[in-house]
Amino acid sequence: MKKKIISALLCAAMATSLLAGCGSSSAGSSSTTTSAATEAAASTETAAKAGESAGSADTDSSSGSYAGQKIALVGKSAGNAFFEIAAATFVSTVESEGGTVDIVYPEEATADAQIKVLDNLISQDYDAICLSANDTNALQAKLEEAMDAGIAVSSFDSAPNADSRQIFVNQAGTTAVAQALVDAVYDITGGEGQWAILSATSQASNQNAWIDAMKAIIAANDQYANLELVEVAYGDDEAQKSTDQTEALLQNYPDLKVICAPTTVGIAAAAKYLQDNSASCKLTGLGLPSEMEAYTGDGDDYSCPYFYLWDMEGLGTLSAYATMALVSGEITGALDETFTAGDLGEYTITAADDGGTEIVLGLPLEFTPENVSEYAKLY
Amino acid sequence: MAGKSGRTINNIPENPVRKMIFSWEGILFLLLIAINIFCSMYSEFYNISSLLRQMPVYLAEVFLMLGMAFILVMGEIDISVGSIVCLSATLACLSSNAGLPFPAVFLVSLLVGTACGIVNALILTNFQELPPMIVTLSTQIIFRGLAEIILGSGGSVSVSNTAGFRAIAGKVGQVPYILFLVLILAVIYAVVLGKSTFGRSVYAIGTNRTTAYYSGIPVQKIRFVIYTLMGTLCGVCAMFLISNSYGANTTTGENFEMDAIAMAVFGGIMSTGGRGNIAGGVISAIIIVCLRVGLGQRNVNAQVILLIIGLLLICTVGLPNLVKNMRQTRKVKKN
Amino acid sequence: MKKDSMLKKITGSREALLALILILLFIVVTGFNSSFLTPSSLQQLIKNNAVTMVMALGMLCVMLVGGIDISIMSTLALSGMAIGMLLKYGHISGTILPFVITMAIGTVCGLVVGLVVSRVDVPPIIATMGFMYIYRAMGYLISNGGEWASASALGSFSDFATSSFLGINCVIWIVIVCYAFFFWFMKWTRTGRKIYAVGSNPEAADVSGINVRNIKLLAFTIMGLLAGLGGALQVGIYASAMPNMQKGGEMDVIAACVIGGVSMSGGRGSVIGTLLGSLILATIVKALPLIGIDSLAQNTFKGVLILVVVVVNVILQRISDRNALKGREM
Repeated sequence: MKKKIISALLCAAMATSLLAGCGSSSAGSSSTTTSAATEAAASTETAAKAGESAGSADTDSSSGSYAGQKIALVGKSAGNAFFEIAAATFVSTVESEGGTVDIVYPEEATADAQIKVLDNLISQDYDAICLSANDTNALQAKLEEAMDAGIAVSSFDSAPNADSRQIFVNQAGTTAVAQALVDAVYDITGGEGQWAILSATSQASNQNAWIDAMKAIIAANDQYANLELVEVAYGDDEAQKSTDQTEALLQNYPDLKVICAPTTVGIAAAAKYLQDNSASCKLTGLGLPSEMEAYTGDGDDYSCPYFYLWDMEGLGTLSAYATMALVSGEITGALDETFTAGDLGEYTITAADDGGTEIVLGLPLEFTPENVSEYAKLY
Repeated sequence: MAGKSGRTINNIPENPVRKMIFSWEGILFLLLIAINIFCSMYSEFYNISSLLRQMPVYLAEVFLMLGMAFILVMGEIDISVGSIVCLSATLACLSSNAGLPFPAVFLVSLLVGTACGIVNALILTNFQELPPMIVTLSTQIIFRGLAEIILGSGGSVSVSNTAGFRAIAGKVGQVPYILFLVLILAVIYAVVLGKSTFGRSVYAIGTNRTTAYYSGIPVQKIRFVIYTLMGTLCGVCAMFLISNSYGANTTTGENFEMDAIAMAVFGGIMSTGGRGNIAGGVISAIIIVCLRVGLGQRNVNAQVILLIIGLLLICTVGLPNLVKNMRQTRKVKKN
Repeated sequence: MKKDSMLKKITGSREALLALILILLFIVVTGFNSSFLTPSSLQQLIKNNAVTMVMALGMLCVMLVGGIDISIMSTLALSGMAIGMLLKYGHISGTILPFVITMAIGTVCGLVVGLVVSRVDVPPIIATMGFMYIYRAMGYLISNGGEWASASALGSFSDFATSSFLGINCVIWIVIVCYAFFFWFMKWTRTGRKIYAVGSNPEAADVSGINVRNIKLLAFTIMGLLAGLGGALQVGIYASAMPNMQKGGEMDVIAACVIGGVSMSGGRGSVIGTLLGSLILATIVKALPLIGIDSLAQNTFKGVLILVVVVVNVILQRISDRNALKGREM
């Protein structure tokens, strides 16, 4: 009997929340400056969803002006130093154009958690969502829902698949990164010998793209025929496991000449291990200058002769301009469109490997013993 | 007459209305209203339609709470559920891509979940000395590891034919199907746990396993059934997760066990066994959903939301105990 | 006759069994890869698992009083991140002071958990689950939302992890000192014996004049202290502090204890068992890539091996129990 009462109470609670919710949304409209059109869209969301399309997003602001845009920036997870730098310039760029940015992190670096974040963002009246995806395909349903609701969707750093985004801002072309890494391996090994890859997790989409591209480059080019890729190990972006994997690589392959670690946590852990044990095996890959400063140098005392990353600040700025241009209707994300990204100059949208479109920021940056301490102050 | 209530604030006279309000579910219910009022004042976007729209992702985890409730009442724990969800989702996606019709895909997911549950159950009933936590910890690693092997170096799969998944993500008006399914299952589970001999036996095992055994309750059979059903529920959860993401990857379902346990414990279902009921668990699940949606709509730092949930957990379990302890010391002093 | 009694002795003692499993593991792994059984490799084995090994001692205390603590890796992250940020912004320097700070933070964290468990009677799994979220969130907050402290920011602090004393790495010395101290503490001190007493029968302990609540509080505080020490070790060994470090690592610590024969219902377990348990777990994890298991299959093997070890333990225990009963019938 008591359970019946409780379920009745539960229904009442739902009704209360309905009433409370309606009350507040009308209260909210009087106090905020949102236009009547968007407010109506919020309250009759499902009905409005069908009518609106991604292309009509430019109704909110006049074409060419970026002022007043409300943009959400979604990271992979909190505690990613590398993302923070791009986020900082993203925010300053949008704010200098008169818009506002909210940076949102999912509670974990998983697609499930990012779906919850996207749900929250769709409920708010954002003009655009710019995200770094935790999984290539898993966000498609939510991002399509966002685009149907008239929210512009751009991405940077790590792309969701072609159907779930309008534009991807690529930090450096996948092939360009892979080519740089392969050349580094070729250079450090002296053109022949064993090398291995220490990646993050088997599911990390960026890392997988680079590894695949590296394998393709090596297979296609006779110059690299003497390089022997012995193993792809996964350190799960944990210091402990990365260290274990590095050690196992050295013990399994005593003649190993180079480890290539295209992940910031993995490269730092491997660098620490190799340097502490004065291993003859050298390291290269993608890392943060501040993390790698202590390990970068010429000669046997250091484990890493040089490594790569890209211009994180430029990535933030370019992504900000691309997102704002999407919202203003200046670009739609179609092939060969051009737009001006402030001081960075003019960019053209090109075709991405996955069938979508992308904007490529530039070539990867090389960090050598000469410039690493300079960059370490920045990131 | 009254269902078995989770816990009661001490020494309240036997007045049915007062008893109901002061029961755990009553307090949770008041908290639910309070949180809804708070959220709608806090976030201008918080209303019933945004809540219903955002709910399905969280509701998938409530299935796990139902199964976990039985396990917790029994005084045990299952931390492999997130990995079972991952493995079921992976195989469901693959079978869908292999061309199986949607009902068969659903069946695959349920079967995989059930099979994983049976693995847990077999180990736990054959080696009763082993603590459930350590067994399910190793199966947690194993099931997710199997998904990693199956998914290979990409670590991710997406379904090409999403029609069926779009269908189960459908809505009646604004209310998603999954809410109905959760409520129906919750009622069934509540009745089974509260009214049936089976449910009574579960409470008995949780209160004192040895006594339950000697009074003729088939302890190991019941444990077997409960762990197996937990696996089946993971299969259900996996299907609804796919309906949100049209795919699976090696991180699918990570930490779901903690969310499920938090919901159940917050609802008065104690992991020390023997107490608690489903109604409390469902209300507390809805409270957590409302809180996450409301705070999330103002982009409150995800870690801060977790901090609040952590505090809520400790306070809801600790405060009644604190009140009780203080009363007892006062009594002792008087005497 | 003599052989028989030897066999009985071995099957009768849990620690001897574990040692046997460990030696078997060593032999098998060395058979696959001879570089495993070298001094430097073994040193690295302990160094890379020092955090887990040290914290397993705290978990032993907590599990002996019938509790469990899953908040420890959040305490580790909070304390480690605290010194990371302090060192990064130049507020402190050196090696000793950061250690003191992490251990102080850890002790306070453990004390709070212990108070909630012992004075408010919140079941340990729930209390520590709450604190797992709380301390982890605090770790994120003090890192300004996710800054890292890198090797160069830590200055000379992480040097201790690379320096050695008497040919043995300092991290390993810390582990040895911890184990030696706890071996003495649990076996020869009054407080150590009280921890066992509370775990095996709280009511009896209470009646015999032991303050059960204080002992529980003590166990959780020790756990916190060691989690703080773990924070300093983690930051030192890997020369890097991140707010999400060791997420999920508490399960490794619990697994190490259970493999080492520590009972989850309290009262049973030993320091030697914990040592062997954590060494077995460490060996399994380290051996998987060495013996050529595919990198994608390593997690599955790890899970299966943990399960096999605990199941074998139970079976052998059953055999020895049966033997003991037989002896009584005679």
